[in-house]
Amino acid sequence: MCLLGAMGSGIFIDRKYFYLGLRQNVEDQFNPSKRFLVIILTMLTLLTLYSTIIPISLYVSIETIKFIQSSQFINKDLNMYHAETNTPASARTSNLNEELGQVEYIFSDKTGTLTRNLMEFFKCSIGGEIYGIGMTEIEKGVTERKGIKVQEVQTSNDSVQEKGFNFYDGRLLRGAWRNEPNHDACKEFFRCLAICHTVLPEGEESPAKIKYQAASPDEAALVLAAKNFGFFFYRRTPSMIYVRESHAERMGKTQDVSYEILNVLEFNSTRKRQSVVCRCPDGRLVLYCKGADTVIYERLGSGNDDLNKATRDHLEQFGSAGLRTLCLAYRDLAPDLYESWNEKFIKAKSSLRDREKKLDEVAELIEKELILIGATAIEDKLQEGVPSCIQTLSRAGIKIWVLTGDKMETAINIAYACNLLNNEMKQFIISSETDAIREVEERGDQTEIACFIKEDVKKQLKQSLDEASQYFCAPSGPKLGLVIDGKCLTYALDSSLRIMLLTLGLNCASVVCCRVSPLQKAQVTSLVKKGAHKITLSIGDGANDVSMIQAAHIGIGISGLEGMQAVMASDFAIAQFRFLEDLLLVHGRWSYIRLCKVVMYFFYKNLAFTLTQFWFTFNTGFSGQRFYDDWFQSLYNVIFTALPVIIVGLFDKDISPPLSKKYPELYKEGIRNKFFKWRVVAIWAFFSIYQSLVFFYFISAFSSTSQDRSGKMFGLWDVSTMAFTCVVVTINLRLLMMCNSITRWHCISVGGSILVWFVFIFLYSGITTPLDRNENMYWVIYILMSTPSFYVTLLLVPVAALLVDFLYLCVQRWFFPYDYQIIQEMHKDDIHCTGPQGVLGSKQQLIPDEERSNEISQLPREVSKHSGFAFDSPGYESFFASQSGKYVTPNAWDVARRASIRHKATPK
Amino acid sequence: MADMNRERHRTRETAFYLFTQQSLPACKPVLTPGWVITIFLFMGLIFIPVGLITLRASHSVVEIVDRYDTECVPEAFRIDKISYIQDDSIPKNCSRFMKVHKYMKAPIYIYYQLDNYYQNHRRYVKSRSDKQLLHGQKYHDTSSCQPVELNSGQPIVPCGLIAWSLFNDSFTFIRERAELKVNRKNIAWKSDRDHKFGKNVHPFNFQNGTLIGGGKLNPKIPLSDQEDLIVWMRTSALPSFRKLYGRIEEDLDADDVIVVNLMNNYNTYSFGGKKKLVLSTSSWLGGKNDFLGHACVIIGSSSLILAIVFTLLHLKYRRPHGDTSYLPWNRKSLSG
Repeated sequence: MCLLGAMGSGIFIDRKYFYLGLRQNVEDQFNPSKRFLVIILTMLTLLTLYSTIIPISLYVSIETIKFIQSSQFINKDLNMYHAETNTPASARTSNLNEELGQVEYIFSDKTGTLTRNLMEFFKCSIGGEIYGIGMTEIEKGVTERKGIKVQEVQTSNDSVQEKGFNFYDGRLLRGAWRNEPNHDACKEFFRCLAICHTVLPEGEESPAKIKYQAASPDEAALVLAAKNFGFFFYRRTPSMIYVRESHAERMGKTQDVSYEILNVLEFNSTRKRQSVVCRCPDGRLVLYCKGADTVIYERLGSGNDDLNKATRDHLEQFGSAGLRTLCLAYRDLAPDLYESWNEKFIKAKSSLRDREKKLDEVAELIEKELILIGATAIEDKLQEGVPSCIQTLSRAGIKIWVLTGDKMETAINIAYACNLLNNEMKQFIISSETDAIREVEERGDQTEIACFIKEDVKKQLKQSLDEASQYFCAPSGPKLGLVIDGKCLTYALDSSLRIMLLTLGLNCASVVCCRVSPLQKAQVTSLVKKGAHKITLSIGDGANDVSMIQAAHIGIGISGLEGMQAVMASDFAIAQFRFLEDLLLVHGRWSYIRLCKVVMYFFYKNLAFTLTQFWFTFNTGFSGQRFYDDWFQSLYNVIFTALPVIIVGLFDKDISPPLSKKYPELYKEGIRNKFFKWRVVAIWAFFSIYQSLVFFYFISAFSSTSQDRSGKMFGLWDVSTMAFTCVVVTINLRLLMMCNSITRWHCISVGGSILVWFVFIFLYSGITTPLDRNENMYWVIYILMSTPSFYVTLLLVPVAALLVDFLYLCVQRWFFPYDYQIIQEMHKDDIHCTGPQGVLGSKQQLIPDEERSNEISQLPREVSKHSGFAFDSPGYESFFASQSGKYVTPNAWDVARRASIRHKATPK
Repeated sequence: MADMNRERHRTRETAFYLFTQQSLPACKPVLTPGWVITIFLFMGLIFIPVGLITLRASHSVVEIVDRYDTECVPEAFRIDKISYIQDDSIPKNCSRFMKVHKYMKAPIYIYYQLDNYYQNHRRYVKSRSDKQLLHGQKYHDTSSCQPVELNSGQPIVPCGLIAWSLFNDSFTFIRERAELKVNRKNIAWKSDRDHKFGKNVHPFNFQNGTLIGGGKLNPKIPLSDQEDLIVWMRTSALPSFRKLYGRIEEDLDADDVIVVNLMNNYNTYSFGGKKKLVLSTSSWLGGKNDFLGHACVIIGSSSLILAIVFTLLHLKYRRPHGDTSYLPWNRKSLSG
């Protein structure tokens, strides 16, 4: 634009315009004999003249808007206020609000974020019978989707309520199990729970006050369950376990029984089971064993096929409900058999080399011909509302990656519980725990291990990718899920395999990475951030998530429970995972739409304004004469059009929060960046060009004749003031046209801006001070307002300018509606309700899509088996650290974590 | 009193609550077809009458335009007009005949119109000193008047290019041998006369330097009464402009022939500008200008047409409003 004007000026300037006084001592800018210099200098003049096109006030306005959005809206949203811990959401930075509306990948930590790190004994299966009448969230979800209303299970007042024990079934509690047909199995089941563990009791030896110290929370939950069933484990000595058994022999009778612990066959990740050999007071030798269903079933004795099959069915049922299962079994040992075995055991135990391996081998000898008792199901308690939140987010087109330090089984289990994985999905599991790898590892050569695993990972990745690629194109194919463990990830993140991993990962609806170190969490996050060019979000609670939180575009810390490190590193802090829904779908979406509107509007208003100046330049011999007074030009952005756009940036609402949560698909508009595309920019640019032409040429057309009865003519400044008035009015009215909701603040600010302009011009052209008389503008507005044509123009020009915009809005809405506009129309007549009733009420009705998915879900299909074993081996994190060699330092986070816990504990 | 305070406090709190929870009461205009059609109809109904009224006003104005710059050069000088205009010895008087084609009611305004004259050129616009115009010689800082600032060391009053290039053609009008009286008072805006041009400022050294541009001024008359200058100094917005010269305060009948005796002094030949003489009556809306009326009528009628088009569309291809099947995720599930 400047160049065009400058060239024009170079050509235009000529001595023939004698009235410009170009004959003698002409300054360089207008010297006809130095045309090139004229071009350069005019260019600079025009640069300053057109500088209004770059809105400096845009930055100020946007910062203001973002600041208020985060400090007033996000921080004070009651929907994101967690009453129990008294923590509101807090935005720690104000410049990411609009990115919240465009998140496509969420990286989530598991413990503390998705789950509460609280294990609760939830169900069990004894002797082919399921006990426990609770329902997990995922089951509730399934039944709800089938259209059956979930009835809140009324737990009677006398039921046992304890942290870690969320079980109710009248058939088992308070000794009622004695009346069950399989009461012997029940007794064995409870005994197994009470004896087969490595838990230490702490505190007073009474059921109410005792505390269990366990390496894994599962174990504690199991022992706690035994206590609640009447088998109270209260004391442990190196060789004895003391259990206070109620109702064991007779109803109502309590007796203290001591079991002599002869051997403990410990849990590790290869054995996936734990056994205890004990001698009962009556001299009977029993081996109690608990472990993963796969290993236990391999070691069951013959017979009892009905029971085994029934229990297996139950295990699958538990597993798909997201519960963590363990099988319990026992074996009666003949004394001589035991003695001979014990010798071998002692020998193995005292060996110096390969002791672990030898112990495992010895254990194999006795852990066989087991008799199955039943199975336990422990709920890894999810944070409130997590499954439904995740489902909503995935409907919104957001892909969720779970990055956890836990082992694979746990991670998969949680993924099931959170609805991230289900049996209808095509799952790819890339694991380092294969026999082949284990074999190589046993040989112990580090380089060989590395090479082998790398090859293996490559092979697995390639295979998965090939298989997955046939689903990429097919629209109705199953969703894909990827599970990968940390060791494989170490190699998959290698630069040669990285692309493959990324392609596979990006095409999966959900990805679970287990056993990953904090560093790897960050690596995965930045891999996707850089590779997908999409907005990523990390959410975590502990110190080990800090690197991941910092690596993503947006970091979110869970505040309130564990330490402050994650919160300190984060951009936003919320108290619960489920608040993510509000943060993204409501606040993020709004912020995004609002800021798009603000930016677009700024672009439009400055372009339209500056272009009138540009058209004027053509009529001034390209001299760079300004059309508007200095003050008009500088106050245009600052005062006359500033406030309304901020109001829009704060208050514009297309649809209400319950609706944006009900139709999460609307969020996809943000992911696709639908409101900030070149097409949108071009449309706005078109309108500003059109409008500026209307402003300039309409007004110059009027000004060619006199405007009232006196026959006097307008000068330059009269015309420019008239044009400016029209610009201010039009630009402000255009703002109202693009609002989705108009509060009284919109009206006040728009009306106010126009009013301020008039007040300003009244004062400005009326007042003369001795110091700075503005002769140009003197009395201009009064002259203008004395002519009737001023009013006709003021009516005509804005309408003429906005007519095309209005037509566009109508046509766009009529023929190419945005999704949100349809939703608006659907709920046009709804009474605006802010309360939660609105949400509940609207949830009752099934939208056609849901009905359809229900039908699909009822179709028979191939279902993969998932039985839900996930038992934490103690100290898995340090185990992992020692395994992978290079991550010796990561233990620092453990230290930090512990420190943070202690720090939190001390103030109490 | 305390109650009132508490009440006020509570309302403020509620307002703030509504603000932070983003649930301020708002109306949510949705552009339904009904609204669209109504708005277009409404606009049509407003703008067509307004347009017709303004057109009527414009048509009631009688305007005679006569371009005289080419005709007023003697045949001999047609090839080299510049030497003609720059040669003071050649008499510049010229006579034009203007035929009144329609009855013109007094006052009839006399304008001169210049085309291709960049009064809005930056160098030109800023070459004036408003303070000098008001205070005269008392005000010495006339640097803004470059390049026509000083005459033998003393600031020219009034200084600057604009004043220097004052238009200096003059016109007299004769109807049937009787001279028409031309009122040349009150042709400038009153605010200019009273507040921008000094009552005690006399153009004592205007146009007597080496370089003579346009018109001269009578040094006896203060600037505030030099209305030609005042009109000229209100620079125009566009390179083609009219300026008021005077008023004929007699009615002119149809078929009257007016003889205009003019002094063709002003040089527009060097830059190819045009000079025109305009006689015009005026309506409440000013001079003859059909643009406003046409624009109004066009906008009004196109609104009406759009209203009809949208009504037809609405009747024929009705998009059910709020139809969920339009939502992309539903669309996909229907097709897949």
